[in-house]
Amino acid sequence: MRINKSKNIANWGLYPSIRTNEYEPQSIEEFKEAIASTNKLIARGNGRCYGDASLQNDVVSTRRWNKFIEFDRERGYIEVEAGVLLSDILEVSVPAGYFITVTPGTKFITVGGAIASDVHGKNHHVDGCFSEHVVYFDLMIENGEVLRCSRDMNADLFWSTIGGMGLTGVILSARFLLTKIETAYIRNEAIQAKNLDEIFQLFEESESWTYTVAWLDCLQKGEALGKSIMLRGEHATLDEVPEKIKKNPLKIKKKPKLNIPFFFPNFVLNPWSIKIFNWLYFNKQVKKHVQNFVDYDQFFYPLDMVHNWNRIYGKSGFIQYQFVIPKENGLEGMREILRTIAESGNGSFLVVLKLFGENNPKAYNSFPKPGYTLALDFKVNKGLKKLIENLDLIVEAFGGRIYRTKDAMSKPSLTDYLKNTDSSKFESLQNERINR
Amino acid sequence: MIVLGSNSDISQAFVEKVLKEGQRFPLVYLFTSNVDKTMKLARHIEAKYDQKCEIVEFDLTKNNNFDAIAHVESDLLFCASGFLGKNSEEGLYDLNNTIRIVEINYSKLIHLINFFAQKMEVKGKGTIIALSSVAGERGRQSNFIYGSAKAGFTAYLSGLRNYLYHKKVHVMTVIPGFMDTEMTADIQTPKPLTAQPAQAANIIYKAYKKKRNIVYVTFVWWGIMMIIRNIPEFIFKKLKM
Repeated sequence: MRINKSKNIANWGLYPSIRTNEYEPQSIEEFKEAIASTNKLIARGNGRCYGDASLQNDVVSTRRWNKFIEFDRERGYIEVEAGVLLSDILEVSVPAGYFITVTPGTKFITVGGAIASDVHGKNHHVDGCFSEHVVYFDLMIENGEVLRCSRDMNADLFWSTIGGMGLTGVILSARFLLTKIETAYIRNEAIQAKNLDEIFQLFEESESWTYTVAWLDCLQKGEALGKSIMLRGEHATLDEVPEKIKKNPLKIKKKPKLNIPFFFPNFVLNPWSIKIFNWLYFNKQVKKHVQNFVDYDQFFYPLDMVHNWNRIYGKSGFIQYQFVIPKENGLEGMREILRTIAESGNGSFLVVLKLFGENNPKAYNSFPKPGYTLALDFKVNKGLKKLIENLDLIVEAFGGRIYRTKDAMSKPSLTDYLKNTDSSKFESLQNERINR
Repeated sequence: MIVLGSNSDISQAFVEKVLKEGQRFPLVYLFTSNVDKTMKLARHIEAKYDQKCEIVEFDLTKNNNFDAIAHVESDLLFCASGFLGKNSEEGLYDLNNTIRIVEINYSKLIHLINFFAQKMEVKGKGTIIALSSVAGERGRQSNFIYGSAKAGFTAYLSGLRNYLYHKKVHVMTVIPGFMDTEMTADIQTPKPLTAQPAQAANIIYKAYKKKRNIVYVTFVWWGIMMIIRNIPEFIFKKLKM
């Protein structure tokens, strides 16, 4: 087994960065060996979570554990090893007429990570989290035993592992159900909203849409606080799409990939550049309401087109801040948070607002709860800690909590909601920080 | 497609690359000495690419029964069979080590390739892609048993290419440098000189489509070997490489 000794690793936010011993097992025996030869460790996939979620002094990588096991092209069931990326699946499932039912905003995450974080997508109010579509998964526990977990088999372990941040064991493989599609395209609508009231109104009106999400300009103040663009979409049917697409409905054009080849220097990101970016983003759309067809890559994964986009934040990295606040407090809480951010001048490029639907009470470690969720990114700098402290206080006051998968420095009382994950072997730096 | 050395990381990456590009075969024959391990690859190919596979157990170190593989044929053969063995310090005077290295990298391997080369010659078409090594470019004190077997193999491929050219069969020699694979899992290799299997597979695929003859996986190795080949012997023998 390859062991990369004292390798520098960081998750997608590039903060924090640590030295680790990385085990890369390729067989069940090697996984056992990795677990047996360490005091404590955490499983790590493609490192697309943020913060310190999958970091530890010893990590067991699933990158070389990346084979397909079965793809039932008749019924849409797929079974893969934990290190398979969602992008690997889409590459073959879309041409076969299937889409991943719940996907986050990047396709470069592993299936193991999708379960450990119980990721959500733009369709949470309709389809719930990733775990809703999982039939079973295989988990290696502390003593090296592999247990199949489902709603009927080892059900306790099934539910504690979902959203369990890798603290119950190493997920080795999973079987889940895909969604049937007729085309690789999304019937998309983009609607401008002047402020928070308007965008909240739009979310309420759009409940019947499968996919809804809003991009926000977080530097706006006063009347324009919450200025945003709502995107809503449906998988386009064969009847709907233009003739051009009909010829090859399950194929999309290859796009040139952009790449950020080096770390941007610190001065590139500042309130002015973010203002300009937001201005460009919100004014590329002239009409208030646009309807069109876009391929799934553009709709779900716009940022994946720019490789290494995390480097625009420079070497010091950035954090993602995602919280949910209950629906009844939604408007008021969101207003206060946005005001606090705008006043701090700490702008964020990527601000995504979403209305969560009902959660599955059985998946008690999952992050989503009915209410509004906002995700922002902030460059790591001197003033950030203070800003996060202030935001945390607001989130707490409104009865909200923080998404562990993105957490790097929030108040532990907002992230200590995991239950039944105590293990002396599987432990992340994040969990140690939270439970200190 | 016939794959010799199916458990090698480069084989796996190359098979995936070919299938990803849309090519399909009546069957992909996966030759292996470790059937259990290859099963995973076979299942992966069937699940991911909807491509049927047949696993063929074949251990180059044993006496091989060619009748058992009489039915196997294809227009594309990819050979990544290889065995690094122990280096000179530990294994130079170890007879078993030497025999294994020579059999797997050369003497028994060329029997097998000849077997399929003949079928291609009869049909008058086909491509043989085989991995040799930079170690075969000049014998160095650290691992020259392996290097000499690879040198022989490189010469064999060169001759086979020349011979089969007139029969409309193409032979391509691939010379990888350091690879980030299982074979080198215990060796720390310098990062800029080390290629990932997927990277290698892309380069090999492009070269295959262009019918290139000799391909260095990382270009920098072409330069390095150029220098190593041209160091005068009276200096070279004093070096510790």
